[in-house]
Amino acid sequence: MLEKRLLEEILGIAVSTGADFAEVYCELTRNGSIRLLDRQIDAIGDRTVSGVGIRAFLGTRTVYGSTSDISREGLIKCARAVAAAMGDKNMPQNVRLTERIFPNIHPVRICPADADMKIKTDLLKEACEAARAYDERIAQAVGNLLTVDHTIQIANTEGLLTTDRHIRTRMAVQATAAANGEMQSGSCSPGRGMGLEVFELFNPKEIGITAAKQAITNLVADYCPAGQMPVAIENGFGGVIFHEACGHSLEATSVGTGTSQMCGKLGQQIANPKVTAIDDGTIPGAWGSVNIDDEGHPTQRNVLIENGILKNYMIDRLGSRRMGMPMTGNGRRESYAYEPTSRMTNTFIDNGPDKNEDIIASIEYGLYAKSMGGGSVNPLTGAFNFAVSEGYIVRNGKICEPVRGASLIGTGAEILMNIDMVGQNLATGQGMCGSSSGSVPTDVGQPLIRVSNITVGGK
Amino acid sequence: MNFELLKKAIAESAAELGITEYEIYYESEASVSAETLKDEISSLSSNVSGALDFRCVVDGKMGFASTELMEVEEMRKLPARAAENAKYTDKPDTVGIFKGSESYGTPNAPAYKPMTPEEIRKTALDIQSETYKVSDKVTDGTQSAVSTGEMTVRMVNSHGLDLQASSGINFAYAVAVVNDNGEFQDSFAMTELGKKSFAELSAEAVNTALEKVGSGSVATGKYNIIIDAKQMRTILAVFSNAFSAKTAQAGMSLLAGKEGEKIAADIVNITDDPMREGIPVQIPFDGEGVAAYRKDVVKNGVLQTLLYNRATAAKAGCETTGNSSKGGNDIRPYAFAIEAGDKTEAELFEMAQNGIYVTEVKGLHAGANPVTGDFSIESAGFLIEGGKRTKPVKSFTIAGNFFQLIKDIKALSNEVDFSLSGGYTTFGSPAVLIENMSVAGK
Repeated sequence: MLEKRLLEEILGIAVSTGADFAEVYCELTRNGSIRLLDRQIDAIGDRTVSGVGIRAFLGTRTVYGSTSDISREGLIKCARAVAAAMGDKNMPQNVRLTERIFPNIHPVRICPADADMKIKTDLLKEACEAARAYDERIAQAVGNLLTVDHTIQIANTEGLLTTDRHIRTRMAVQATAAANGEMQSGSCSPGRGMGLEVFELFNPKEIGITAAKQAITNLVADYCPAGQMPVAIENGFGGVIFHEACGHSLEATSVGTGTSQMCGKLGQQIANPKVTAIDDGTIPGAWGSVNIDDEGHPTQRNVLIENGILKNYMIDRLGSRRMGMPMTGNGRRESYAYEPTSRMTNTFIDNGPDKNEDIIASIEYGLYAKSMGGGSVNPLTGAFNFAVSEGYIVRNGKICEPVRGASLIGTGAEILMNIDMVGQNLATGQGMCGSSSGSVPTDVGQPLIRVSNITVGGK
Repeated sequence: MNFELLKKAIAESAAELGITEYEIYYESEASVSAETLKDEISSLSSNVSGALDFRCVVDGKMGFASTELMEVEEMRKLPARAAENAKYTDKPDTVGIFKGSESYGTPNAPAYKPMTPEEIRKTALDIQSETYKVSDKVTDGTQSAVSTGEMTVRMVNSHGLDLQASSGINFAYAVAVVNDNGEFQDSFAMTELGKKSFAELSAEAVNTALEKVGSGSVATGKYNIIIDAKQMRTILAVFSNAFSAKTAQAGMSLLAGKEGEKIAADIVNITDDPMREGIPVQIPFDGEGVAAYRKDVVKNGVLQTLLYNRATAAKAGCETTGNSSKGGNDIRPYAFAIEAGDKTEAELFEMAQNGIYVTEVKGLHAGANPVTGDFSIESAGFLIEGGKRTKPVKSFTIAGNFFQLIKDIKALSNEVDFSLSGGYTTFGSPAVLIENMSVAGK
């Protein structure tokens, strides 16, 4: 991390040509990756990411420079380039930083980088062997163990100087089932903002078995029929529906530029009254949690929708300037190479009033989406899609045969009103969300919900 | 950064550990880009980054370590880190570090001319102003951006191989947001600078957005489908991993063991060409230092070869196709393309008669399964009625299986469109006609 005096000097240069604010973001990340293939540890790698991003503001105009050259000369060159791009005034300013320490609400017991490599490779082997043992038609189980140890330092011309360290661990198993010239796959990839103690929470065997079970289910499944129907979407990663159908449209990235379907809708009924949705970056050890965001602002719990009424957006520093609203601790970026923008943290639909068994029983003919893949959205129109990775037909209130290859499409405004039953088994699922500031870990979540009518893409 | 100094630190440290076979792969990038909002530059950014990847053979196994921290102290630690990683790897290394090819091809892309920040700013503002001029329905939220970027690679190894390459690209895009009587639509157009005029780029973005206004729905059923070139190359990209020998040998590709067999319609040809004319980013060697060359992957529907690196080629008992990614452990194509057919777009429409012309597909990272070939993807486009493109339609999915789709291609248009990529991999395709595809709509 950089010396305080050097930071003060860099910030001074960055604001010297007329900027009204400047910020330095310094990063040192140690990424570890272990891959298992064909029952063998196939490759082990580690990567150090190191660099600095310097940003200056004048109103809502921004200039950003980033460099992996963190020598004094490299940093000054970068700050001068930022200043030159901002303007040609000569307005030298003295910057004085005061260190601030935010509480660590995500303690880690076993830092993954320090742990014995054999412990890590054994965890992967346990998971992948369990996948293979589940059924003889499992032809391949690929496992990845990914660990991130991320230290950041943020300083800005408001005087803030702070550091934070964030550790996360994730295991991903992809099982492939093969029979009669066909192949199907299943996956399971839980993660947390924790160290290796995360495997006291998840049993590696269960991760392997979950992936294998899904691959086998899909192998015996027929294609999902196409058309409009009611759909029950299970908890956990099912929450990707809210993430795509609504979450992105509530980010200042699109709201602040007037390119969101949710512009100007605060206080309005945008969802069924059974829907309450929250973005909460403070949940201890959760995948999308951090103590402070990448602009040095503490994360917080933001109620986005309460009983169907839009209450708040997710706002970063630039969005705050564009929208005239306070920051919400959502300024995030993948690394120093990206200018931060408003991003989700842990975003979920809260538990509702309906019993889970009533939700399934209410469907005469429809789809039960047990497990979901990812999706995408156009925030301007709200048109979204997401994939069902494990689905079943529901007939007369009973879950029947599995179907594969389904996707769900619709528009956010329509789907939010159509979530007409909300169950009580809230759980989360982990994803990597991609947007203009790169790929960041986010949790999605919900209890079992029913969407009264949605287009199911099938064959 | 002094590369020679860093290289020396690594060599010394490797020698101390008794490591005799190793490779250093250094990649650096520098880019500048500007974005506009309304009539001003909203954001200007410049990025400089470099990363060094080290790998070595220790006790017959390969270990890896990489860093962006370009300091002598950090370099001294890399060999020990890689050796430690090798120790816990199970897979024996069968091929070692590469000694070098006899000769290497020469890129034919025009030399990269970086733009100055001032040129970038001005160009972005010019495009933005052109975009507003196209129609009075263009509204705020519309953005234009210009970017210049250069990438260089230096690869040296303990056998004395020393390879270098660099390439760069200047490109621009416009995102037009239109408001037509309260209905908002947007569209995106992108070009390498110099290939299209600003007016053409702006008109493409705006008109594509305007054409979407008032989109209707389609009924669930089976349709003749024309997938336009941009969408087809996106679909090809998602399933391209099936052509990797690594994927095939892992039992995760339906193309495994199909070399020499018919896997696609007779009219389908797929090639992979590192120095394809018109592609701005070209490299004469792969991630292991093997000379890169053009190859037929599918010829007249028959799979000629998968894409190999040295390790998968050794296992299969064939020659590498020079498609190793950095580090030798994975496979990457170069300009990987379905080749053009003989039909004009008008002829394709005439052949389809009635159906849907797909001009947008979304969410392929989730809606398409590269292992199984299954896909079900959100789409938008136009109806085809009486052999002509008519009304816009949206909110439907097209579904099928990629491996069946390439068998079902009835015709190909005569123009290949490539994705604009700053990296060494890019995908291309013409528009394709498929009969009887499943569509889910209203």
